[in-house]
Amino acid sequence: MTRRLTVDMLTRVEGHGGVEVVLDGDEVKDVKFNIFEGPRFFESIIKTVNYEKIPDMTRRICAICTASHSLASIGAIENAFGVENTPQTELLRDLLIHGEMIESHALHVYMLALPDFLGYPDAIAMSADHIDAVKNALALKKTGNMIHTTLSGREVHGMNERVGGFSKIPTEEELTKVKKMLEKVQPAAELAVELFKGFDLPAYNESDNVLMAIDPGERFGYLGTHVLVSGGERHPQEDYMKLTNEKVYRHSYAKHSSYNGGPIMVGALPRVHLSHDKLTGTARELYKEHSDMVDPRNTLSNNFCQALELAHDVERGVETIDALLSDGLEEEGLAEFEAHEGRGINAVEAPRGLLYHDYSFDEDGCITKANIITPTAQNAANIEKDIRVIAVNHVGEDAELMNDIEVMIRAYDPCISCSVHLVRLR
Amino acid sequence: MKPRVGIFSLTGCAGDQLQILNMEDELLDLVSHIHIVDFQEGSSHKEEGPIDVAFVEGSVSTETDLKHLKEIRERSKILIAFGNCAVEGGIQAMRNKEGSIDGRLKDVYGVETGFFDAKLSKPLSEYVEVDLNIPGCPVEKEETLRAITSLLHGDLPPSFTYPVCVECKLNEYPCVIVESGKPCLGPVIRAGCDARCPGLGLDCIGCRGPVDSASGFAAEFSMLLEKGYSKEYILNRLRVFSGEVKEGFLGGEEL
Repeated sequence: MTRRLTVDMLTRVEGHGGVEVVLDGDEVKDVKFNIFEGPRFFESIIKTVNYEKIPDMTRRICAICTASHSLASIGAIENAFGVENTPQTELLRDLLIHGEMIESHALHVYMLALPDFLGYPDAIAMSADHIDAVKNALALKKTGNMIHTTLSGREVHGMNERVGGFSKIPTEEELTKVKKMLEKVQPAAELAVELFKGFDLPAYNESDNVLMAIDPGERFGYLGTHVLVSGGERHPQEDYMKLTNEKVYRHSYAKHSSYNGGPIMVGALPRVHLSHDKLTGTARELYKEHSDMVDPRNTLSNNFCQALELAHDVERGVETIDALLSDGLEEEGLAEFEAHEGRGINAVEAPRGLLYHDYSFDEDGCITKANIITPTAQNAANIEKDIRVIAVNHVGEDAELMNDIEVMIRAYDPCISCSVHLVRLR
Repeated sequence: MKPRVGIFSLTGCAGDQLQILNMEDELLDLVSHIHIVDFQEGSSHKEEGPIDVAFVEGSVSTETDLKHLKEIRERSKILIAFGNCAVEGGIQAMRNKEGSIDGRLKDVYGVETGFFDAKLSKPLSEYVEVDLNIPGCPVEKEETLRAITSLLHGDLPPSFTYPVCVECKLNEYPCVIVESGKPCLGPVIRAGCDARCPGLGLDCIGCRGPVDSASGFAAEFSMLLEKGYSKEYILNRLRVFSGEVKEGFLGGEEL
């Protein structure tokens, strides 16, 4: 007799999704990662809008990855029009994306994922027995948000980073204040690594994964122009359509990605696995000590990798501020350029993985065509693969199976509301 | 007894409930004063039964959203439309007056009607009675905290009835329309943000939605036309966070 097991609504994830597993005895008949977030049609509504206001709109695809969307969007526009940025702009953008990682990872690692491993329904309940963990989370989150507020104008949906630079350059005092906060929360970031190194990676979640992440260049980071794929491949970001071949499914407003016919994974695990040799300082030491926690065959490693990235992000933030302060801050205005007909593609790492924006413009610089591919859309097929893997390996109660599946999905840090306004079908 | 509070989301980016989590300094204190019965993004704990105050973010964009909203309304004494999507329909309502939902489904997903349960994005007030609006994309943390404090004391908080221009003048920022010719929406958008964008040298993009008084829109429209912006450009600007505003608001233009 077949039985249908479901998680109607995933909790402690961003957006609305569920799970369905159909079993016949021990045999797995079908699995689905359902997404029932409403569609918002971003690629359609931004048509005819002038490039200057596009990042203000597309950053609203997601609240928790708002700066990732804004930087992906700004980069695509700059690539279309050939905009050259100053070293100061590059440093400020690097600081902003690291701030976003701190804010997002602190929320996910400590407040959404950790309760699974300590046995609580949420961070508030967890705070009764683990108040230090929750206070660490809040201090880290606040620091990430402080970077957002200082550089972008506010925590969610800022506005100060623009095509060609920043509208207003932060003052020396403001950046020094951020630096002090970063130095203060360094132990909180390292504690996240300490906590997660203690949770074993269960064998029931092991399978082959094709990992993809941005090539950050010389040092570990989240901006770049090429994409790395496990197995040693390296592709220019312009080849993204090939890397994320998408298909529409009836049970999901999110299209599912594939590469060479199989699912792919993006996120912290791919970033750390593919570029760990580029880590520096404390994060490098922590990686060496706990490299067994970075298992490319076990997607639950993603939690540990986010914790490791937190240690990197905080230290890197301090370095970037030091570089900005020693160079001296300058109100340099926005780069000059002319809008024209053309197309621009840009990839950045959002907290939960690779994000692509692709725009075409008419001669006035208004959008004629847009394509946006979010990390959770890319992960959707891999999440379904993992649901199947866990269901096949599972022995024991059904309720336990569904719980293990939910913990696995949460480890991807899915951003479901992001995932629903995806690519156009050609 | 602590008031029973639910935090719900329909279609949107979840940025308004994120603003609650962004109250890092106040969060632990805040949750000690309320009893949270539903907060899908933050907790796996969920209770049935009546709700004293429901915060609902996101717009109604699917049949599922509508069903969910009606259930929440039935359970709740006070229902708050939380953020621009809930108050105005959000950025996804921008093209409500142009084209059809089927056209957009075809455009983005390449499929015909009947495939999904999508609807035109509408504010909560289209379907249920709303007791309080907290506007913004996203909502302001301070305004939200003030609202919660008022509600804990049994009051409804005051709302902003004047435009962003007032706060801009109070801050003595240079006018971005007059000084740099930027298409600022400050004259017709609800205050409460302390004129953040003009403070950064940027034009207001309207994320708090239109002020209650409609009279400014026609003037804004003709002023921007005079500055040399095209009709399509101005409409694209005014509609981003106000897709559902009534025809007359936009200078009586046929749209």
